Amino acid sequence: MQINRRSFVAGAATAAGSLTLAAPSVLGQGKPKVVVIGGGPGGATAAKYIARDSKGAIEVTLVEPAKQFTTCFHSNLYLGGFKTFEEITHGYDKLASGYGVKLAHQMAAAIDREKKQVRLADGTTLGYDRLIVSPGIDLKYDSVPGWGKEHEEALPHAWKAGPQTKLLKAKLDAVPDGGLIVMIAPPNPYRCPPGPYERVSMMAHALKKAGKTKARIVIIDPKAKFSKQGLFQEGWEKYYPGMVEWMAPDIHSGLKSVDPKTSTVVTGFETYKNCALINVIPAQTAGKIAIDAGLTDKSGFCPIKPESMQSSVDASIYVLGDSSIAGDMPKSGFAANSQAKVAALMVRGELIQSKTFPARYANTCWSLIETDDTVKVGGRYEAKDGMIKAVETFISKTGETPGLRKETQVENMGWYSGITADIFG
Amino acid sequence: MRCHLPLSDKRKWSPAAAAVSMLVTLANAGPVRAGDPAYGEYLSSECVTCHRRDGQDKGIPSIVGWPTEQFVAVLKSYKTKDRSNPIMQTITGRLSDEDMEALAAFYASLKPAQ
Repeated sequence: MQINRRSFVAGAATAAGSLTLAAPSVLGQGKPKVVVIGGGPGGATAAKYIARDSKGAIEVTLVEPAKQFTTCFHSNLYLGGFKTFEEITHGYDKLASGYGVKLAHQMAAAIDREKKQVRLADGTTLGYDRLIVSPGIDLKYDSVPGWGKEHEEALPHAWKAGPQTKLLKAKLDAVPDGGLIVMIAPPNPYRCPPGPYERVSMMAHALKKAGKTKARIVIIDPKAKFSKQGLFQEGWEKYYPGMVEWMAPDIHSGLKSVDPKTSTVVTGFETYKNCALINVIPAQTAGKIAIDAGLTDKSGFCPIKPESMQSSVDASIYVLGDSSIAGDMPKSGFAANSQAKVAALMVRGELIQSKTFPARYANTCWSLIETDDTVKVGGRYEAKDGMIKAVETFISKTGETPGLRKETQVENMGWYSGITADIFG
Repeated sequence: MRCHLPLSDKRKWSPAAAAVSMLVTLANAGPVRAGDPAYGEYLSSECVTCHRRDGQDKGIPSIVGWPTEQFVAVLKSYKTKDRSNPIMQTITGRLSDEDMEALAAFYASLKPAQ
């Protein structure tokens, strides 16, 4: 049963006995307050679902500095020329007008867990009964020797979508025929496991389409294997012969340094000089605000309770998406959106005693390799043995028919439309 | 009317709040029933990631406003793997008959956007 705050208060006046059933925090402070940090697939979904399903009984404030959000998912399709930048960019207007979410377009500066307050960049504070922390990843700028924040314009990461994405596309489009692109791939765990390899596919597609088939892409990977490896390698061989070279750590013998001035990448195996483009995707951590608030463990990410996404260190806080340690679930927009719905349900249950049900999670990641050739990996997950565990998983197979791959691409585009409507619509 | 308690009073409340909150949570997690629209709606939150709630088909078919029997029959055919989409096979793998009925009832109640 959902308790509408207004009708509950009205009822309480005539039936004082029912007061004992309500949480004192609700009675003491007017509407219970939820603050959400981060307007990505985790935070925006949680804000929408809590506001919509509580029908005004919970005050929800979404703290997000950007007025528009560019999705990381499908940003590779923008690089490949399959989508415009506008098509992967979304506003928050509907969250406010449709569901009553309050928007605070500011950076969240700090969390005071003792006082249950979030301090914004301008110094104002927002009190909360429950806080949802969904800041995404932060980049470890010191994880690639020779590269740092001051070099991200020259050697873009584009691992947070937005201006970096546009920058990477401009640099990609300027690569001459015969030019060399080096991608420094990230170590685990990182946002979007198949993302670097879909990006390589889309770079190769753009080069090929522009007639630059003599250009080469070399991937320097700290990992011995990667997501959907067989599927990507099959596709690269089929569509982009001679253009893509993936180097495992036992081949490149380690990344030694990157020199932004001379556009050089040095590995134990070879030195790549005069690169036309170097895409550095560094190691990652939870968003800084989660680290500063003491929500992370030594892994740099936030432990959570698998049945609810509640922080393991603070019962008033829920952590979603890339910042969380979600067991077998990958760091993906789909996963963050799935986790947000579980957290929204549990938060409503705690604050307004709406019904709760056992958590169920799901994920699918589609990757476009070439026009009409898309593969997918995914599964369903449940809380088990103290973590989020995969119960059943699936992955596309090598050698699938062109018809099936095309269907999967249609599904990929349909999913984007569905999930962005679910998050922002 | 809003009533703001000073922080000290709020803190005094918190152990009690926690206890009450726990009781309430236990009370909320009641038995799941097939015709329960709240349950159907919660389950549907998994569907709407791909199948648009407004019934538009942008590459993934609409499931809004289907007759309940057809809805359940299609879900079952994915669960038995008579239909081939691995995402649907995986999702239906954990849906009980009651879950399917709750979902079907929820989706039958929705009308496609005009």
